[in-house]
Amino acid sequence: MSTEAISRREDLAEKSPWGLLSWVASVDHKRIGMLYILLAVFFLVVGGMEAVLIRIQLATPNNTFLSPQLFNQLFTMHGTTMVFLVGMPVFTGFSNYLVPLMIGAKDVAFPRLNAMSFWMLPFGAFLLYFSFFTGSAPDAGWFAYAPLSTKAYNLGPGIDYWIVGLIVMGIGSIAGAINIIATVLCLRAPGMSLQRVPLFVWIMLMQAMLIVITLPPLNSALALLCVDRWLDAAFFEPTRGGSALLWQHFFWIFGHPEVYVFALPAFAMISEVIPVFSRKPIYGYAFVAGSSTVILLLSYGVWAHHMFAVGLGTTANIFFSAMTMLIALPTGVKIFNWTATMWGGSIRLTASMLFAIAFLIQFVIGGLTGIMFAAVPIDWQFTDTYFVVAHFHYVLIGGVIFAVFAAVYYWFPKMTGRMLDERLGKWQFWLWVIGFNGTFMVQHFLGAMGMPRRVYTYADNPGWALLNGVSSFSVIFMVAGTMVLVWNVVWSLRAGAPAGDNPWDAFTLEWATTSPPPEDNFKSLPEIKGRRPLWDKNHPDYADWKSSQTPGDGGWRPSRSKACAWSFIVSEAIFFLLLLVAYVVFNTDADTDGPTADSALNVTRTAVFSAFLLASSLTFWLAERSLRAGKTPDFLRWLGATILLGVVFLSGQAWEYAGLLAQDVTVDRNLFASTFFTVTGFHGLHVTAGLIALAIMYALGKNKHVTSAQAQPFGAIGVYWHFVDVVWIFVFATIYLGVFRS
Amino acid sequence: MISGELWCWTSPVWLLIAAWLASYVLMVRGSRRFHWFALLLGFISLGMAFISPLGVFADGYLFSAHMVQHLILLLVVPGCILLSLPSANTDSALQGARWDRIGRILATPQLGWICGVGAMWFWHIPWLCSTAALRPGFGFFRDATLVGAGLVFWWPIYAPRERYRLHPLSGCIYLFSACLGCTLLGIYITFAPLSVCPVFANPTDRIGILNAIYDAGLTPGIDQRLGGLIMWVPPCLLYTGAIIGLLSRWYTTAKPNSLGTFAAKVKEA
Repeated sequence: MSTEAISRREDLAEKSPWGLLSWVASVDHKRIGMLYILLAVFFLVVGGMEAVLIRIQLATPNNTFLSPQLFNQLFTMHGTTMVFLVGMPVFTGFSNYLVPLMIGAKDVAFPRLNAMSFWMLPFGAFLLYFSFFTGSAPDAGWFAYAPLSTKAYNLGPGIDYWIVGLIVMGIGSIAGAINIIATVLCLRAPGMSLQRVPLFVWIMLMQAMLIVITLPPLNSALALLCVDRWLDAAFFEPTRGGSALLWQHFFWIFGHPEVYVFALPAFAMISEVIPVFSRKPIYGYAFVAGSSTVILLLSYGVWAHHMFAVGLGTTANIFFSAMTMLIALPTGVKIFNWTATMWGGSIRLTASMLFAIAFLIQFVIGGLTGIMFAAVPIDWQFTDTYFVVAHFHYVLIGGVIFAVFAAVYYWFPKMTGRMLDERLGKWQFWLWVIGFNGTFMVQHFLGAMGMPRRVYTYADNPGWALLNGVSSFSVIFMVAGTMVLVWNVVWSLRAGAPAGDNPWDAFTLEWATTSPPPEDNFKSLPEIKGRRPLWDKNHPDYADWKSSQTPGDGGWRPSRSKACAWSFIVSEAIFFLLLLVAYVVFNTDADTDGPTADSALNVTRTAVFSAFLLASSLTFWLAERSLRAGKTPDFLRWLGATILLGVVFLSGQAWEYAGLLAQDVTVDRNLFASTFFTVTGFHGLHVTAGLIALAIMYALGKNKHVTSAQAQPFGAIGVYWHFVDVVWIFVFATIYLGVFRS
Repeated sequence: MISGELWCWTSPVWLLIAAWLASYVLMVRGSRRFHWFALLLGFISLGMAFISPLGVFADGYLFSAHMVQHLILLLVVPGCILLSLPSANTDSALQGARWDRIGRILATPQLGWICGVGAMWFWHIPWLCSTAALRPGFGFFRDATLVGAGLVFWWPIYAPRERYRLHPLSGCIYLFSACLGCTLLGIYITFAPLSVCPVFANPTDRIGILNAIYDAGLTPGIDQRLGGLIMWVPPCLLYTGAIIGLLSRWYTTAKPNSLGTFAAKVKEA
């Protein structure tokens, strides 16, 4: 950031609003982090109420408390809420709050982008929940399987709100993740090499990278579903040649890594809590960190285990089954890391530690039932029964939510300056352990007995009423436990014991500042010579670096704008890749009715216009070079040429579209037309967005606001512009040259 | 009778292995047990690819066997060649300015990536794939380019000199993106409705084993699906293994302390 920008920010800080408005207007990572967490808590209550209603309905056989329609809406909204409005925000919140503190930074890399990322979330949530007022909340399940989610089977606007809500929240999540990546890579304090960052930071970096690569497939799928629903295409309608399975593939390419988007932060939290309350460094830092990286890779290759029952074929099933068992290794061995950390340690059984230990046990149960599902025959037997429900709730509540509770008790003193009451904490712990296991353990048996999930009621089969009754009754304990937590928070905020800077004698940098930390985080930082700088400072005789050296800091910090641009590009590349995959899927077969690429497209003409677009990359490069050399007139000339070339390309595309529409080749005509317009349309939108960015730069340059100091952000736009051109090369090869056609 | 024909004991690959061994013994000095192990693994996998029944199946019968052969040539053999070279010896060999320049050029990650991933894609363009399977000369050319491309691909990861290697984190990105590249190809081959290598759809039954193959369930459709999965999963596992290796190298540049002494000190405290 230039000095001018910094002073402008300081001016703003002086005039900044106060009270409630100060929270809305804040760009401080700590406040935004807390907003994320509060929003997650709010929706935990909302999603929890939905779950309570579901359990009331299922408490007795043949119950009519809820209508089938409302039941469908509630389980859909419960799942969507818990995934997108609780799971993702709560971790983004902790990450936002803690990552800059743990690496000794003053803020995240892009504070305003951070605020935008957050405010996208309530906006998306509003859209999602507004659907209730239209009378048709989404009711196709949180994974909205096609064709149930297509217009033919779902006429109301519920799914449309669901799509738009998810896209809005997805944009916020990707922007937030990019921010965390740039923060960790670029803003580490001197001495904090990437091999020394706290495990929380490293794993959250991996989680952010996972979000960047895993949300685009969902966005691609949502884009296609939009085109299906709004423009009458048929990507997911088998009756018109589409493929309902394609939705499942796309959704689970997102959906399975999404499980790790939740699990990784839980690992991150546990990896901080267990060492501190065992008074030992983590056992096998490199393994925990490295295996989280490997999970990132493997999680992308196991999605089809959600689809064993759809008939992918034995060979595919065997491979995905093996991959699924394999991904259990890096996760399973971590359990030993945490256990070995406790082994021989001086364990303090605080509320936080209790939740962490319960996490270990319950997550193992959830993990083991997951391994059971990796065996295809077991999956066939149990799929869509309550066994599945029990399995993923053991992972997501018994694992993830318990880790969040551990984190709340651990970091609440840092965030508020007050301790949470330990006695109330233990009450909450036992209420939750009883309530959670009571609710979900019995569901394993119900599943094994064949009780299907997502059916609004059930017949009075032997044993079902009792087990469902136990399950529903146990929810009361979880509700009571939650009320204890809320009371604990409210009471402690007013009268909790003062926390001091480092109440747990913890190891990492967030405890080296006051509780709560000042706006710029640190007055001074301890010297960073190892993975536990605060331990080293407080126990100099036993400092880590005296007994074991860790790789030092070579000082490598990439430029923020480059880190941001490249992360964004990766995400966009995956989005386009999936769209192109959809094109290939629907256009490899030569005998299609109606227009095809061969019959409808003028390859030569488009090749000429493509040359204009590719030439614009060259002129952009020249503009960038002129800017770095400080030759503003040359810069403006080349930038103008780039814009002109881009406009010529877009005009070519408009010409092509007009010709096609005149021949009655419209998006709803057949699958070639649908995929063609979708792929080239999204590319066109990206070119337009790039042109707008270039035009802004041009206008700034004309008014002499662009100097060589702005070369870096301009370079970031350049990365985007070149990317759009590269995408076009692939689009051209796939659609116009038909390299995948038979 | 048939089982005898499944092994190609007269394969010219023996000559290749002999030449490779001879040049290794003559030119390479200072090998340790690990390097000999890598060399042996290279021989075995090369032998597997051409002498064992895999070679016969790959020769016009099974697309999946062809795929295994392809991966051995592209990923396993070149990896073994590079890993069998001790760094001390290559230091002297690469000291000349020209060799050094070549080493540096090969260390360009873009080049390696395009060679490695590109070779996979290029040789699965349907007519190229079929032609290489039908014409032995062209097939030999393909196999040679696969090994060559594999050497260029692994160079930034396993080059015998440290300075030609990528930074471990860049290496992770290199391998991760390569995995995405072969995943895409694997998905395409697995789920493509058309025959990616048409020659395997209607094999010429040279030694009368086709019925047995089909009876075993390996009909052309399933065979191609299996081939796609082989293109997809094993290379990614190999890359994952290499990533684990890179990460452990990255984390252990400084030697870790044994936990036992540390715990003892803490207890004293």
